[in-house]
Amino acid sequence: MGDAALIATHELTKTYAMEGAPVHALRGVTLAIQRGEFVAVVGPSGSGKSTFMHILGCLDRPTSGTYHLDGRDVSRLSDDDLSAIRNRQIGFVFQGFNLLARTTAVENVELPLLYAHHERISASERRVRALRALAAVGLSDRAGHHPNQLSGGQQQRVAIARALLNDPAILLADEPTGNLDSRTSIEIMEIFQRLNAERGITIVLITHEPQVAEYGSRIIRFTDGGVVTDHTNAAFRAAAAELASVASERAR
Amino acid sequence: MTLVAASWLSPLRSSFEIAVRALTRNRLQTSLTIFGMTIGVAAVLAMIAIGTGAETAIGDQIRAAGMNLIVVTAGNYKIKSTDDFGGGAVEPSAFFRRNDKPATRFAVWDGLRPAPMPVGFHPEDDPMEKHDHPTARQRLGDSEAGLGAAATLSAADAEAIRRVRGVQHVAEGLHQNVHVVAGQKRWFTRLHGTDLELPLIRRAWTLQHGRFFTGGEQSRAEQVTVLGAIAADRLFPGENPVGREVSIWRQPFRVVGVVTTTSWMVAPTPGDDQFDAVYMPFTTVHRLLNLTKLNDITITASSTGEVSRIMSDVTKLLRARHHITDEKPDDFTVTTQARQALARGGMRPDVARAVVGNVATLDKVTLEQLGKTLDRATRTMTALLAGIAAVSLIVGGIGIMNIMLLSVTERTREIGVRRAVGARARDVWSQFVLEALTLSVSGGGLGVLVGLLAAHGLSRYLQWSTTISPGAVVLSVGVAAMVGVFFGWYPARQAARLDPIQTLRHE
Repeated sequence: MGDAALIATHELTKTYAMEGAPVHALRGVTLAIQRGEFVAVVGPSGSGKSTFMHILGCLDRPTSGTYHLDGRDVSRLSDDDLSAIRNRQIGFVFQGFNLLARTTAVENVELPLLYAHHERISASERRVRALRALAAVGLSDRAGHHPNQLSGGQQQRVAIARALLNDPAILLADEPTGNLDSRTSIEIMEIFQRLNAERGITIVLITHEPQVAEYGSRIIRFTDGGVVTDHTNAAFRAAAAELASVASERAR
Repeated sequence: MTLVAASWLSPLRSSFEIAVRALTRNRLQTSLTIFGMTIGVAAVLAMIAIGTGAETAIGDQIRAAGMNLIVVTAGNYKIKSTDDFGGGAVEPSAFFRRNDKPATRFAVWDGLRPAPMPVGFHPEDDPMEKHDHPTARQRLGDSEAGLGAAATLSAADAEAIRRVRGVQHVAEGLHQNVHVVAGQKRWFTRLHGTDLELPLIRRAWTLQHGRFFTGGEQSRAEQVTVLGAIAADRLFPGENPVGREVSIWRQPFRVVGVVTTTSWMVAPTPGDDQFDAVYMPFTTVHRLLNLTKLNDITITASSTGEVSRIMSDVTKLLRARHHITDEKPDDFTVTTQARQALARGGMRPDVARAVVGNVATLDKVTLEQLGKTLDRATRTMTALLAGIAAVSLIVGGIGIMNIMLLSVTERTREIGVRRAVGARARDVWSQFVLEALTLSVSGGGLGVLVGLLAAHGLSRYLQWSTTISPGAVVLSVGVAAMVGVFFGWYPARQAARLDPIQTLRHE
């Protein structure tokens, strides 16, 4: 099974009925993503990349075609099974952070463990794991803060900590830097690249900004519900180096 | 065991935790909703308290008046024809206060109004009197029993009566006149050998000192005695006699208590039957005097409406136990306090005779109809009050539903996030139902407190009697929980049905 792709889609289609007229969001997408890849999916709005991400993230089911996740066909699973897969194997990072208001950072991070029905985790164990995840994104000192006491970058890092909590195989990021300034965006990308390099977490980054996509080691371009280009990006931008140079510029 | 229970409870506990966390995020909304529920439950509880309080108060008054009291006396002092109260026959107790001191009663009448007949004149000797009362010849019980009237009732009869349906308390009775000696003091008084249930029958009684005798003392026939307030005052003036010794029949008795009354209608007076008296277990009297029979058995009915039925049941039971064949008369007399009270009360004897003689089932009219009418009236009132209060409970429930629906819309995005991190539709559903349940039950719990306080306040400051039974508390909290689930169901289903993608896109 070592050679099997983590994500393998075959002729995925998705058709919505919008006011009676069918809308073809995906028109036969066949892709394979290996374990440990950092894939950037780019395309204009309406290109089907969000629909693709929803199917990858088990939030939605394809109209036709198959989707194998870690060797298992998940395209026809029940809602409950998909929920369990989201809980265990997939971590989401959204553009709008999507933290629960009036809830501390650490409690936000704990959230997936509350739905970990396959294992019994004590409250103290949950807290320990959440604090560890916060430490991984450099926010140990903000554990007790509420989202409105955190900056956008910090909120997004809390969201990343939450996504990492169940040690997912895939991190799905939907426009994670859309609401952030360029400097903070680089910080977020640095975390992604580090997680990818150090922990081997597969990252699928969806963005409409080509320069953000440049952080990925593979770039897939969507247009009109189909893949138009798919190439490796050996010369990807290194966020850590960029941060270092920004810092040294500041120091000067 | 605990591990198993814990692991089984765990999903529920985490859902509950999620629900509570979600609720604490909007404290004002949550507390207002809880408040609505509190008012509902408190109102229901207070109304039920007032209603059942009124019911018990009426019942208590009827019982305190002795309406549920039945007395079985050994011997038959009725002439045969009085059994059906027909044809102008009369209940002898219309004339006599049971079997004691008829002359004194007439003397009392003399002082109050023109004498109905000469003082000390026994009705049997009145040449003008129609002989429709028992004559010595007609007192069949005496002759049949042979051993005297007091020899027909046994302790076993009393035990059998205890098992009759609807009987609340039974007390055996043995009555003697005795000299009680305490040191240099000597007092001639009534002695009652009785059962430890007697204080439950004499509802107005209270123990001024000490206690009544116990079951153990009764079964061992110990030489213990409880003094009536008057006897205690005469024998031990200004002292607490508990623990002291008195002598009756030259036997030593330990005083364990002093009994008096809380009723403002009856004050203990010298010569009265209840407080110028001493009490001891009937078993002790049996042992010391070598007796086996009883003078009388006092019975209370748990419901006033059942007095007539119990009277007839007791009559049948005793006839069977005494092997009395159909053609023979009873060797005992079953009567009610109410009938006696009516007969000997302020009424002139001829009026009393007319009333008792002509209304065949007088006690049924007064007890069953009065009791049941009052019961029905108070029950209607309780239902009405509780119904009005239930409306506020429903309003509270609608408040919960409103909040839950609002929060489903408000928290669409939250639902999306929860779904994205792995919450199943049913997790979302149970969160919302549990939130509603938490709101309603905590509101209900507070409502119980407020309701208890309100009921307490009402009885304290308005002098209304209120009764809160554990059943009413459980019922109102249960109804609150049901309201929560009922009104939380729909919003929760709405929340669970939301499409995760739509909820994540929701702004």
